[in-house]
Amino acid sequence: MMRIAAFLVLTLFILPAVQASSESSSWTHEFESGYITTKPLFVGDDVFVRTSGFWTGDDRPIVAAFDVETSNEIWTYTSQTSLQFDMSPLLFANNGAGDCGQWDDLLIVGWADGKITAHSPTNGSVIWENQTEVDVIGISGKMVLDKDRVIVPTRTGISSFCLADGSELMDVDTGNIGWRNGVTITHAGYVFGDELGYIHEVNRNGSISTIFLGDGKIRHPPIETRHGLLVHLQRSQGSTIFLNGTAIAQLGPSPAIPVHHENRIYAATSEEWVSILCDDQTCAVDSTVSFRSNGEMGIRVVDSDIELWAPSNTPNGGWGVFNQTAMIRMETTEFDTYGTSAPGFSNMNLALGNDAGILLVKHYASYESPPQPSDANILGIVHYGAILVFFLLLCFSITLQNPKQIAKLGSAFILLVAIAVVPELSVKLAENSATQGEVEWDDDWPDEWKGTQVMVFEIDGQEHAIGGLMPQTTVYELTTLACKELGITTQIEQQYLGAYLVSFNGSIGDGWEFTVDGTRSPVGMSDAQLKDDSIVEWRPV
Amino acid sequence: MLSAIGTHGPTLSPLAMGALNAILFLVAVWLLVKPHAKSESWLWPLFLFVGLASVARIAMGFIPNVMPVTIMAIMIGSKFGVQRGVAFAILVTLASNAVLGHGWWSLFQIIGWSSVAAMASILRVHDSEGQLSMNRLAFASLWSVPIFTIIVSLSIVVPGMSLLEFGLYLANGLLFDVLHFLGNIFFAMWFGHSFERLLTMNEPHHQLAQQEREHVSTL
Repeated sequence: MMRIAAFLVLTLFILPAVQASSESSSWTHEFESGYITTKPLFVGDDVFVRTSGFWTGDDRPIVAAFDVETSNEIWTYTSQTSLQFDMSPLLFANNGAGDCGQWDDLLIVGWADGKITAHSPTNGSVIWENQTEVDVIGISGKMVLDKDRVIVPTRTGISSFCLADGSELMDVDTGNIGWRNGVTITHAGYVFGDELGYIHEVNRNGSISTIFLGDGKIRHPPIETRHGLLVHLQRSQGSTIFLNGTAIAQLGPSPAIPVHHENRIYAATSEEWVSILCDDQTCAVDSTVSFRSNGEMGIRVVDSDIELWAPSNTPNGGWGVFNQTAMIRMETTEFDTYGTSAPGFSNMNLALGNDAGILLVKHYASYESPPQPSDANILGIVHYGAILVFFLLLCFSITLQNPKQIAKLGSAFILLVAIAVVPELSVKLAENSATQGEVEWDDDWPDEWKGTQVMVFEIDGQEHAIGGLMPQTTVYELTTLACKELGITTQIEQQYLGAYLVSFNGSIGDGWEFTVDGTRSPVGMSDAQLKDDSIVEWRPV
Repeated sequence: MLSAIGTHGPTLSPLAMGALNAILFLVAVWLLVKPHAKSESWLWPLFLFVGLASVARIAMGFIPNVMPVTIMAIMIGSKFGVQRGVAFAILVTLASNAVLGHGWWSLFQIIGWSSVAAMASILRVHDSEGQLSMNRLAFASLWSVPIFTIIVSLSIVVPGMSLLEFGLYLANGLLFDVLHFLGNIFFAMWFGHSFERLLTMNEPHHQLAQQEREHVSTL
């Protein structure tokens, strides 16, 4: 028994040295011009992506297909007539048959010049095409499939086209223009909004009813909940979330396209990411995280958990990865910049695109969520498993009244418990015992910095400040980011007591100290946690 | 942990660090060769202990303040005396910090573990017949912690730091000292007898008690 216990202890200690294999491969493709503003689409072994932009000269938007495994470009299709931003996501239709005929697999593309084209996924050839209403811009919203037809949000209404031959089956004109006016299918028919704040409900027979929601713009497919339609209305200042015609939340400006999963709706604006919970009574904002996302968002279901990916529409870019209520991590790449497109997901692949026009495809060796901190999870499970095992063995040895075994197993059990408890307890105690300081807002700082993390450096008597950065978790992360943005060089050593800041711009002096919101931290910069609006100051000792 | 308030002791240049390490290594060698030992029954066990302690410390570096070096320093000090105990402390610190990171604190770690070994040579964990006493070893697990902690914490003292600030720093680390103590107890209970067998592996059993009495420290 003792040998088994000893083996368990040794296993526990050795585990961290073992790196879990989460090897992945990736490739990138840089488009010559344009942005990627819509989600890359995985279908089978291929990934499809479109570019977008305000086109001049010879540059034009394209749709391209790549082999996921080899990164080989399979085909491209270039529109010579679409000159505005193409914001309508690609849509894939599986082969099938209906009242209007039968069709093979189709990649359906809506264009800013009002065209709708259906392509062969294998070679990109145009199977059929049709034309919708144009008022400066044509199609810019999300299309949906409804049995044998594709429902297309046009500039001034919706149209439906037969998947078999592209013939127009329905055309409804609301008289109001729309932008990113995606369509939602409901039991009765189709729902979409417009740039004047109206919601239109179109029955499958073409009859239309309209409701005025409020002054503002509806730039997403309305979301159907059990309590009615949820709409995020963009206003001249800020935005409002409506549920069944009633305002339930006032949020920041430039809302993203909200997404729906089970009993939650996830929204975002230039100021926050929001999780809305729909319970038996109503839908209400459940949690908010300071974040800036203005385009698409994507949901990835990993086992029973979800990851919501929101592109950070900031100079630093990246993707915020959230669970149901909070941000888990920031996913970054080498080419991060502004971005509004959702990531594309498949079982083993992730595709990211942003305003740099670079497509990154990652292929993972396992189904595991790509960057999950699985090492820590496994270690934690083993740790708590070992605590349980030693507790049981200790109880067993007590019943045997064997003092030597009790001493051995007891020491191991108490040590394992202490290892689990002490580090966190120590930080909590230190935080509680720290004296609370105050920090004054500098009126010279831009108002845009309010509510964001602000970093201040006093180097050689000169103050450098920066705010509005992507929220960071620790002082160490914020310091690194702020220095990068301000062009301040740092020397940071990983020492016995943790990360130690040696110098800023080569200035060592007598050392450096930091405060968070005016309070000296009881822990080092790697452990000092930040709020979304923390003000961190670095000054010489 | 006090990096936040800039109290980390002086930062040594690579040249200074190399020189300090070289000097410490030479001191360890000198301690091992003086006086010329008639019997070298301690030599290989000590080297084995150095290797074992270094590897274990590196492997367990992710667990804060749980390290087998302290209990091994106690047993070396008690068994072989102050001189070998200091040599052990120097060699283990140099070897393990080669991976974990050298700095000003290395010196204080050496002094800390050396002091623990020195104290163990007085408050021995072996009885009069040279047998390991688990009760004394358990007690040593306790008294060694404040000795080591206070000495290592001196590395963060800078000019202008008050006694109160130093006391607060020590108080902040009390929970981790408890962890150190529990780790010591664990190693004592689980590996105490195994360590003892390693320490005595080169000694004929009938010589053990006699050699303990003959051992003379040069310090």
